Amino acid sequence: MRWLSKGWFAIVVCGFAFLKPVAQNCPARPDSGTVVADPFSISSQNGVLSAKFSLGHSVDSAGYTHFCYNYQAGTETVEAPTLRLNPGDTLNLAIVDRIKNNESMKMNMEAPAGPTCGDGGAATVNSTNVHFHGMNVPPVCHQDDVINTLIQPGTPGFQYAVHIPATQPPGLYWYHPHVHGFTEFQVNGGAAGALIVEGMEKVRPEVAGLTERVFVIRQQYLVPWIPGPYLLTVNYQIAPFLGAARPIINMKPGERQFWRVANATLQDFLQLQVQVNGTLQPLEMIALDGYPLAQTRNQTTILVPPAGRAEFIVQAPASGGSAVFFSNMYDTGPTGNLDLSQSLATIQTTSNAASSPMPTATRPSAEGVKFFDFAQQPATTERQLYFSEEFGGTNGPIQFYITVDGQKQKVFEPNEAPVITTKVGAIEDWTIENRALETHAFHIHQIHFRVLEVDGKPVPNHDLRDTIEIPYWGGSGPYHSVKVRMDFSDPTTAGTFLFHCHILLHEDLGMMHKIQVMP
Amino acid sequence: MKRLATSWLLRSVALLAGVLAVSGLAMAGTRYVVTSDDSAFPFPAGVSFYTVATNGGLVFQQQVQTGGFGIGGGYFGMNRLAVLNRSDQPCVYSSEAATGDIVGIAINTLTVGGSARGSDTDGGTSNGIGLAINSNYLYASFSDSNTIGTFQVQSGCGLAFLHDTPVVGLHRGVINGMVIHGTMLIASYTDGTIESFDISGGTPLSNGDKQGSTATRTSQDATYANSIDITRDGHYAIFGDTSTALSVEVSDISSGQLAKTKIYQSRASISSSNILLSPDQTMLYVINTQGATVSALFFNKSTGKLTAGCTSGALRGQSVNYSYLAGAALINLTGNGGGVYVAEFGPASGIATLTLSVSDQKCSLKETSGSPVFDSNSPGLLSIGTYPTRSF
Repeated sequence: MRWLSKGWFAIVVCGFAFLKPVAQNCPARPDSGTVVADPFSISSQNGVLSAKFSLGHSVDSAGYTHFCYNYQAGTETVEAPTLRLNPGDTLNLAIVDRIKNNESMKMNMEAPAGPTCGDGGAATVNSTNVHFHGMNVPPVCHQDDVINTLIQPGTPGFQYAVHIPATQPPGLYWYHPHVHGFTEFQVNGGAAGALIVEGMEKVRPEVAGLTERVFVIRQQYLVPWIPGPYLLTVNYQIAPFLGAARPIINMKPGERQFWRVANATLQDFLQLQVQVNGTLQPLEMIALDGYPLAQTRNQTTILVPPAGRAEFIVQAPASGGSAVFFSNMYDTGPTGNLDLSQSLATIQTTSNAASSPMPTATRPSAEGVKFFDFAQQPATTERQLYFSEEFGGTNGPIQFYITVDGQKQKVFEPNEAPVITTKVGAIEDWTIENRALETHAFHIHQIHFRVLEVDGKPVPNHDLRDTIEIPYWGGSGPYHSVKVRMDFSDPTTAGTFLFHCHILLHEDLGMMHKIQVMP
Repeated sequence: MKRLATSWLLRSVALLAGVLAVSGLAMAGTRYVVTSDDSAFPFPAGVSFYTVATNGGLVFQQQVQTGGFGIGGGYFGMNRLAVLNRSDQPCVYSSEAATGDIVGIAINTLTVGGSARGSDTDGGTSNGIGLAINSNYLYASFSDSNTIGTFQVQSGCGLAFLHDTPVVGLHRGVINGMVIHGTMLIASYTDGTIESFDISGGTPLSNGDKQGSTATRTSQDATYANSIDITRDGHYAIFGDTSTALSVEVSDISSGQLAKTKIYQSRASISSSNILLSPDQTMLYVINTQGATVSALFFNKSTGKLTAGCTSGALRGQSVNYSYLAGAALINLTGNGGGVYVAEFGPASGIATLTLSVSDQKCSLKETSGSPVFDSNSPGLLSIGTYPTRSF
């Protein structure tokens, strides 16, 4: 979506309410040009991780609105800690909404009909809930339901009790708010954090013993929906386009580190690279979207769509080399926003670099990990879906659709009936086309899918993903498409959940629908 | 002596014509392509006048500033220009969405002749002010107030506001495109509603045919009518739809009301918010708003049926210079029009020129080598027209 359209739409709908200062209650974020620290992490103990997050809200001195998951670590308040759990663990997460009520924000969304979970009521920019992105957990209240769960400001809060399956793939996931119509606001403000399911070294022993780094790349616009200049941040430290000091990642000379990178941006397609003296370095890919690859493979550029994750091994240059962690330009199409090239961080070699080694593998094995062998099972159903967009004027009305072919195109409504109904045990092949002039990022909740084809051609690596890019249509010729295999065989998938574009503006404006998996 | 006087007179006339041409002042009979430069503050709004060179290229003559400001955007099917094709006073009217007025420019002098506002509540700051005109009245669709303002054409390209007609779509849609044929005014709304009005008394009175277009109600594609054209004999109204595909609808209006529309759809491109009939009514030009292409469909003026024609390649500069295609104007005012000039909306707005070739019920549309011409006075070009206009 283009600059002017977004700007006008935001102003028309929301005014300049975002710019109104409110009480400061988010922690200060790191200074530019400093060493990037990993997020504070909290780990499960004896199969349980209990934590309490308080969702805050403030505006910084530059006018950027912050939304923050505050966690009290002793006397210190830290923002969006990394949650570390083992397969089979339980996450007990209390969420308290402490957003100061902003009366200038009048917009709200219709509350879904039927059962409510949490506080209920109308969804507003002050409401929240949590989506555990990529986790193969049930779409039910207190676990990973975002359709009916609403947490309102000023209430006692809400308790999540998420049971991590014993077969959950080890890898990097993330959590973020998912209130329809307002997801972009809170994620834009920084309300997002990493969730790691331990055990990668048991599936990919290459990482055993390496220093692990966790980088959450976020994105902030001064006013959501008005593109203009935006900021990418690495663990909340601003990565400027030009000029100001970049974040610094310390590594020992020649050291191999295991990087776990989450794309928690609103809409950026990151083409991750490491450049040493201007030369692209091979990145040893270990996992995508929290799922270990069948085999590691080397690439010099890793495309990570919005909400995607990439885990890979990076080797530091020898002492004195000049290295940068870089995101290369990505063209999202005529009606999309150009994702510009920029450095994310300077890689600084120092013998004093901290280390936090991964455990040593004991019995490496990929067996027993969910979805390990479902590619061999035949599909029981095939479906065709497509993304499309409709612009009635430069300032709107704008409609973003994801549609099951044969059904009428419509935007998501909280009270809508599921557009797809299937049942536990189904194995489905979905072909998803992009009929828009803008690249979209397909995401489905609760499960990973296996990528079978791109543009009608089988792919050599049948990776398991939860988010995948589908390039824009060029105006002639066939649409770009992906064919993916969905596995609904696990009874825990029973319920109603969502699939959508993970460009958050698109999601908020209705490029999303429900799927119901019958028991 | 007589010979000397004649020679002197001829030289004087020639000199005057030369001065006028150099100064940009027009002479009656000059053909113009005009654009509505609905520039947002701080850039002044105005109308740019182009002539057509012998090689077909557009030559910028001058911009007539209209004294106010536009919004640099808005609905695609809403025409911000209305050309009064009266021989006694040819005028171009252009709306200024931010200022909220409509300004008349005398074509003979390329000077502002007058301006007028609607009522105190009329406004178009959100998505513009659309215009439609006949020889006596100008109608303005205000996108904020959802009203049709009726103005009487005054001498010297002035206007006098008469009154407002509140309108609304079936689902609270906002008025969008408008077109006039005889005593009928047809309007589209942003919720897919279409409606016709009787303007025989000046003020629009609904003909009681407000309805959702067929594509809006039944199509798999999310679609609604945007721009409108009407055949010379007033038999058919044609709607260019905003859609995720190419979608055009035709309604029989021979009864004096809108009949249920028939749909023509194609996946040749994306959206079709702006349409334009050729002078001989054999072709319908369809501007593929998001698809960066222009299509031409064959039209049967007797039956109202559309059949597949041709689609151009992507016009130069998409994404870099322009984001959307919008209004169109005919290259020729006879025959099949010979192609169209197309408004390109974007950071470097321009006017694309496409020529049409037709042979044995096959056609091709090609962008000319000199296209586009950048419209430097318009940061957000949406509306384009010609003087003189098509004859219907």
